[in-house]
Amino acid sequence: MAEPELSAQLLVLLQEFSRSGLRELHIRSGDFELYLSHDAANAGAVMTRNPVVGLPAACAPAPVAAPAAVTVTPSAAAPASALPADVIIVRAPNLGTFYRSPKPGAPAYVEVGSMVVEGDELCLIEVMKLFTSVTSRDAGRIHAVLVEDGAMVEADQPLFAIVRM
Amino acid sequence: MAIKRLFIANRGEIALRIVRAAQALNIETVVAVSAADRDSAAARMADRAVVLGPPAAAKSYLDPRLVVHAAKESGCDGLHPGYGFLSERAILPRLCAQNGIAFVGPEPDAIDALGDKIQARAMARAAGVPLVPGCDGVATAADARREGDRIGYPVLLKAAAGGGGRGMVIAHNGDEAEAGFQRASAEAVAAFGDGTLFMERFVPQARHVEVQLMGDGHGKVLHFGERDCSVQRRYQKLVEEAPCVAMPDHLRAQLQQSATALAASVNYRNAGTAEFLFDVARQEFYFIEVNARIQVEHPVSEMISGFDLVQEQIRIAGGASLSVSQEQIKLSGHAIECRINAEDTSRDFLPSPGRITRWNAPSGEGIRLDSHMSEGAMIPPFYDSMVGKLIAHGKDRAEAVARLSAALEEFVVEGVPTTIGLHRQIVAHPDFIENRIHTRWLEQVLLPTIGA
Repeated sequence: MAEPELSAQLLVLLQEFSRSGLRELHIRSGDFELYLSHDAANAGAVMTRNPVVGLPAACAPAPVAAPAAVTVTPSAAAPASALPADVIIVRAPNLGTFYRSPKPGAPAYVEVGSMVVEGDELCLIEVMKLFTSVTSRDAGRIHAVLVEDGAMVEADQPLFAIVRM
Repeated sequence: MAIKRLFIANRGEIALRIVRAAQALNIETVVAVSAADRDSAAARMADRAVVLGPPAAAKSYLDPRLVVHAAKESGCDGLHPGYGFLSERAILPRLCAQNGIAFVGPEPDAIDALGDKIQARAMARAAGVPLVPGCDGVATAADARREGDRIGYPVLLKAAAGGGGRGMVIAHNGDEAEAGFQRASAEAVAAFGDGTLFMERFVPQARHVEVQLMGDGHGKVLHFGERDCSVQRRYQKLVEEAPCVAMPDHLRAQLQQSATALAASVNYRNAGTAEFLFDVARQEFYFIEVNARIQVEHPVSEMISGFDLVQEQIRIAGGASLSVSQEQIKLSGHAIECRINAEDTSRDFLPSPGRITRWNAPSGEGIRLDSHMSEGAMIPPFYDSMVGKLIAHGKDRAEAVARLSAALEEFVVEGVPTTIGLHRQIVAHPDFIENRIHTRWLEQVLLPTIGA
């Protein structure tokens, strides 16, 4: 299927966006829609008539274009220059509420720039008070956190970009 | 309070049907999809689609906590379960209630009570609804003869302790009842350690008849006529029609009265169906069960009543009273529905998922097609194989059959095998045209002649 290809395209897009100096980017093509913003407050800004995930017809879905906006959190540790080729995207196993820390007020499991090893907890996904942790399958550095703390994520939605080490 | 944003916890044609009903009522829609259904017709039509989880139903459509969490987090104040999946699991309305979401269906306690065969039969008995004549404790051969004589032959004898076909005997007279008792009881002792038998009247040629009900939970229950669903294979309905023209008017009135009395006795809320066995030879009907949901075959009742049952479901869940009275429900003409499945009839009805490469849908006067399919659409392998329901309405049964027949001829689907060909054979068969069918007709009469 075209999904890996699509993810690659989106990564290129993320990279170009980070480099461009643009504050926001909104793309709509057929059923595909993508909204990028450097302002975290804009997460969830897009709620259109048909924000259904996916390219038209037979194409594989574009999980990144989940109904809520994808917000790139820039940081000094994530250089605006070239995105390393060895980036992996960590996705949500199912729909739920995304939590970056084990409990309210506690430090986040990871921040942009954090080094992780295989098996490290990255976040929690909550479904009706049932919390399951998402762990890293690789060793690397957190390049981007793609979802706001407390937001609803859908199955397969990208949560983190990790640069494999 | 009227629902403002409805969550649809289902897929396929019924998800699309519910989205359309909600849109007609100016209600926003959020459709739950699995990763396999992101591109479904319902997902495209709705205001929003949320991906619950992977394709496996247990990790998406069948997880009540996941479903209600998604409904709540997407800001929905109502939830429609459709049919199948979680529609008759009381935990769903219970979770909805805990989270301030109106469930489009009955109270959870009613779902539990009706889902339990023994409780449901007790409720039916209390409401004066006829049950299959029977006897629970046949302990001796002499008992078997006496009870058989009382119930009327043929009778079915089976182990009171167990299920399945073990120790099951059909007796046509008193001698057979005594002999059958010895045999069935010995088998029951061997299998379950208890020789007590259960006896009930056996109906060799029955029709499946059911009554469409709608209650508002404020004490009012209405019926929208009955349906005849006798064309079945392995207890799965293939063709459903309304009304049941094989039933005389006086019996029909009793049937409708029994069904509404049963629902009213539990102050039933929302859509439900009371199912009965119609013993044509004896001109009697017996209660089977109540299905506490909207059913696949609801369109035939809509076609003869001109009433949108799904919209009414949503209104009632929002707290409204029934919008019509029994006198205002005028049933006219005849409607027949064919369930079209992506199945290979030449390979024992093997479900055949895949991509639809051609979809030429029929149209015309009195024709309705409830389907989520189109050219290029994919039937994923994870769920049931239904691709749509073709419904024909006419001024009488003959006109409905003629219209259905023409529509089936016009219907072209390529890419996957379907049951369209079988439906053409069913509606062209003299037994179907002359309405001489029963629940075993398809398996005993038609299928053997076509080598399916």
